[in-house]
Amino acid sequence: MHSRTNHIEIRHHFLREHISNGTCEIKFIGTDLQLADSFTKPLAKDRFNFLLNELGIIDINCPLQ
Amino acid sequence: MDKCKSISKPFSTSCHLDHDVARNPIDETKYRGLIGSLLYLTASRPNIMFVVCMCARFQSAPKESHFNAAKRIMKYLQGTKVVGLWYPGNVSMSLTGYSNSNFVGCKIDRKSTSDTCHLLGSSLISWQCKKQAYVALSTTKAEYIAAGSCCAQTLWLRQQLNDFGILLNKIHILCDNTSAINLRKKIPLCIQEPIILK
Repeated sequence: MHSRTNHIEIRHHFLREHISNGTCEIKFIGTDLQLADSFTKPLAKDRFNFLLNELGIIDINCPLQ
Repeated sequence: MDKCKSISKPFSTSCHLDHDVARNPIDETKYRGLIGSLLYLTASRPNIMFVVCMCARFQSAPKESHFNAAKRIMKYLQGTKVVGLWYPGNVSMSLTGYSNSNFVGCKIDRKSTSDTCHLLGSSLISWQCKKQAYVALSTTKAEYIAAGSCCAQTLWLRQQLNDFGILLNKIHILCDNTSAINLRKKIPLCIQEPIILK
């Protein structure tokens, strides 16, 4: 149990330290607007294209569409 | 594959690759060459990142199903030759990190995948997709590990921006798991868990 959770414990203190320093701040975001979603799972076509659009991955010939 | 038909997505929605022992093996060198080229492309096309990383895990003993998945990416690229990252001018210099994970994304060893991306203003500047090194026991832990790597990348980007004279503080990391966010102020679950198990 310990060997697995040990790494998570270190991460806990790493993240906690930077949050208390004021360098980072963790905020909640709904799954609808979670832009990292397209790197995580195979999504449906519409959702995939929506996220790509939000990330700025667009047709470079007509960027203002 | 110059004249292949184009498709709208680089993966099928039920895309779960495994070792697939029963299928015909294919030439390893050819498969590795294809994956090498695709990995190079992910530096400018984050849209194929997820599926290329998935295919790259089967470079030893690749089977027909893995090759078909890789060919599907090529078909997608055929239809998206003009798609690229767009960096508009006059954007605000605010850095935001997004962290996400898919719990038990890999069906073989039950490890999750961390996914992080960073936006400067509204432009994507950094992205990552990596299978975690250890097995997370809950979605909270998987998300927390992802938030940790997102924080590490944020610090590097902050330092980089600092060198350019842009000083940023309280950089937002956006996470879609409330328990992972609450974990930073409560007693860590990893300390509580052995007590529950007794």
